[in-house]
Amino acid sequence: MTLSKALKDMTFEDFCRSVFNTKERFSKPEVLKGVRVVSTTQYILGPSCAAYLAELGAETIKVELPKRGEPMRHTTPFNEPFLYPLSRWMPDKGTGLGFFGANPNEYFLSLDFHKPEAIQIMKRLAAKTDVFCENYRAGTFDRWGIGARQHLKVNPRTIYQWMGGFGGWGPGRNRASYDILGQAQGGCFSITGWPKEYGGLPGKQTIWIMDYWGGAISAFNCIASLFWRDNVSGKGNFLEYSQVHGAQRHLTDFIALYGKTGVVAQRWGNWEPLLCVHGILKCGKSSYPNSKNPQEQEVGYCFVSAYKDEDFKKLCKLVGKDELAKKYPTHSDRVAADAQMAIYPEIEKFGADKTKEQVWKAFTDAGLVAQPVWNSKEVSEQEHFHLRGTIQWIDDPTFGDVQTQGPAYQLSETPARIRWVFKPVGADNEYILSKLCGYSGSHIAELEAKEII
Amino acid sequence: MGDTWRTEKKRPTIKVLPWPAIPTPTVDEVYAGVDEKKKEYSLWVESAVRQQFNADKPESLDGIRILDCTANQQIGHWCSSHFSELGAEVIMVEPPGGDPMRTRTPFGREEYMFTAKSGEKCGARFLAEARNKFSITLDLEKEEGRALLKKIISQVDILIENAAPGHFDKLGIGYRQLSEINPGLVYLWVGERGQWGPLKDQPGAMDPVGQASMGFVHGTGAPVSFGGTPTRSGWWLADQVGGTFAAMGTMAALYAREKFLGKGQFVECTAAEGVIRIIDYNWGWHGMDSSIRPRYGNWDLAINIYAVNPCKDGQIMVGGGHDRLWFRIWRACGKAKPYLEQHICEDPKLRVVTDRLPHYIQVETYTTLVEWMKDLTRYECETALQEEEVASGGVSFLDEVCEFPHYKYRGHIEIVDDLNYGKVLIGASGFIGMNTPGRIKWIGRTVGQDNEDIFRRLAGLDREGLASLKKGGVI
Repeated sequence: MTLSKALKDMTFEDFCRSVFNTKERFSKPEVLKGVRVVSTTQYILGPSCAAYLAELGAETIKVELPKRGEPMRHTTPFNEPFLYPLSRWMPDKGTGLGFFGANPNEYFLSLDFHKPEAIQIMKRLAAKTDVFCENYRAGTFDRWGIGARQHLKVNPRTIYQWMGGFGGWGPGRNRASYDILGQAQGGCFSITGWPKEYGGLPGKQTIWIMDYWGGAISAFNCIASLFWRDNVSGKGNFLEYSQVHGAQRHLTDFIALYGKTGVVAQRWGNWEPLLCVHGILKCGKSSYPNSKNPQEQEVGYCFVSAYKDEDFKKLCKLVGKDELAKKYPTHSDRVAADAQMAIYPEIEKFGADKTKEQVWKAFTDAGLVAQPVWNSKEVSEQEHFHLRGTIQWIDDPTFGDVQTQGPAYQLSETPARIRWVFKPVGADNEYILSKLCGYSGSHIAELEAKEII
Repeated sequence: MGDTWRTEKKRPTIKVLPWPAIPTPTVDEVYAGVDEKKKEYSLWVESAVRQQFNADKPESLDGIRILDCTANQQIGHWCSSHFSELGAEVIMVEPPGGDPMRTRTPFGREEYMFTAKSGEKCGARFLAEARNKFSITLDLEKEEGRALLKKIISQVDILIENAAPGHFDKLGIGYRQLSEINPGLVYLWVGERGQWGPLKDQPGAMDPVGQASMGFVHGTGAPVSFGGTPTRSGWWLADQVGGTFAAMGTMAALYAREKFLGKGQFVECTAAEGVIRIIDYNWGWHGMDSSIRPRYGNWDLAINIYAVNPCKDGQIMVGGGHDRLWFRIWRACGKAKPYLEQHICEDPKLRVVTDRLPHYIQVETYTTLVEWMKDLTRYECETALQEEEVASGGVSFLDEVCEFPHYKYRGHIEIVDDLNYGKVLIGASGFIGMNTPGRIKWIGRTVGQDNEDIFRRLAGLDREGLASLKKGGVI
């Protein structure tokens, strides 16, 4: 393989725009074409794992309860936004936006596991499945005869990924869990937010991070297992991801610190224990004082980084505090806790009569790294993210024009892509059952009448 | 700020407890009193995935070689950890003198750093992501350094870099040039916002640039009316999320190479875009009706009850928005204070799940709930709620996390007894599995510790060659 002369001769920026061109995504091959994933999952953790595989082109079948579907469909901020219809049987109900982001590109099958016919269907699917994602309480599927042990016997090439709260073994195995419990119990809250002395409390990370991130490392492990199966061993796998474990992986340096020194890491607000100056400053003015939206009336915030000596000097000069540069000439002088408490309020005074954009411009003009704190509207409006396809407007087959997140990463030859954001409950019943189980039209109608699907 | 504030000069001495301070529960203790049939599945899973059997099992990425050329940023190191935990040979390529990240330690305190046998010190943040990796030094700004990279690149599967956009390309070691030498190479660039596009990275940008530029900081923390401000995550969340997506994209490229493509490709992933992918419904919601996601503190915009609220000795999480759990929570609460259960359960406004989401209802819910929790400790709340099988748990601090029996039993926290750094307590690999579990074999290397081994092995350098490179400051 050699690159064409045209590609070699262009500027680097043009080269990137050319090979990562999001408009060309659908003319390139998909990584997981021909890989089938069955996802019997709810909420975010399990669904997101299957969704990441679906973005890469796997044929992903999401199995949920008939009628109402999974609980996340009824989860939406302040009970306001919904996408209609919930299903062809319930056109006047909608799916809440909690379902967003964790279910793109999937096929939707509805199935009531409490009926024996449904278990038969699951067994038929499992025999033809490469990856099986599941997040029922550990052992439930095993009891129903459709767990890892049974699937691996029928289809030894299956990769069975269980995801859930505390895992199937150990003292906490019977405890229920959610993302926020993983964050709380795992220690994430304890280091986020302002210290008590500054009026802060332990704080939540606003996203369902232990879910979405847990799904991501599970998906990574699934692809690695496919790699091992197809290139090395021919064998499937049983994988377990426990939600409360995610926090320990993220906080591993704080754990090491505790083990060595007994120090229990605390909150340090919008500053940075490792570097100074490398923090978020309050600016005194709102960028949109006349807006009716309280989110926009708020004063702005801007991040600035100037931890290197020469950058710190530039910053002090800009804000008119040359004496700080003299008092704290080296990084080890600045980064100490006392010094940080003295430095940040002084620099913050500079922004007291400015908007975040004015502060941003002043900092970048001085050659410093800076970034205003953007809200979701400001991010939505960035050409940058739309150009790169990480935020995109799509013409969804069911819901029409929808703005959605795209795949996080860019691949030049086999890019991931978004085909649709999700579909109504049971939208693909006929397609899946006739294709994979060989059921006739009247058989499917009968299953529907008996409320099995 | 008061007298309680500890200053640099007035810091307490801390007694370091051995870990675990409280012994880890045994198998018999964990399953005491559980009937055979019920514990059968647990014991099967346990025997299938217990980490003590890891060493006997194969690794899924054994034989894959990765050069991690990133420096002064977390995202690349976090990404390559995924591969090193699953058995790939990850070689950190540091500038001579070492990655500046090695010197980063909270508040600059040297006593928080880890000391290798050689006496060299290393900060915890760097060391935590040096697991199972080798370390070489190579100055890619020098012609000889680049020549050496080109010499060994044919033997490499994945290269990761985070230099300023286009910098490696200008130096002649970018994707365009290296893929000519090794068409199978998967070349990954990582950064905060991108190497192309209007917001492309400024040199030196690192987390929390990612967090601030994609809406995370604006959305985290309490609303203004509750006395809150936009808040960054206490750790480098965007880098770590972005690093995982970078690993996913790279793994996909590797899989495609072996399966059908027959060649490598150019991969890019950034911290900001990793979190954009997972920040719930922000973009859909804004697209529908121009809504801007507000901060909502430790409550949730879309689920009620699903929150962390104060109790007697700290804060506690309680979750259960759907009817089954909703009523169980109030039953637990009603055992001690029946009037609270009555107040909630008899309110017609609160009967339907979705009707419970508006803000004023959430205020009512949590005010009532805290009325019950305010006199109870985290442990008492947890116990009462778990009797009803409700998801709940106290906000734990790091010492409590390290001593939590479940984590200790499952090996989520472990001591790595390292050749260089001695015994280090660490969060274990996230990859738990039956056939190919992730594992931590060593914690890290000193700067350039593997120079001789790697350059002899991959570049065929002899002692004279090594000496001259060292003299020239190339390695």
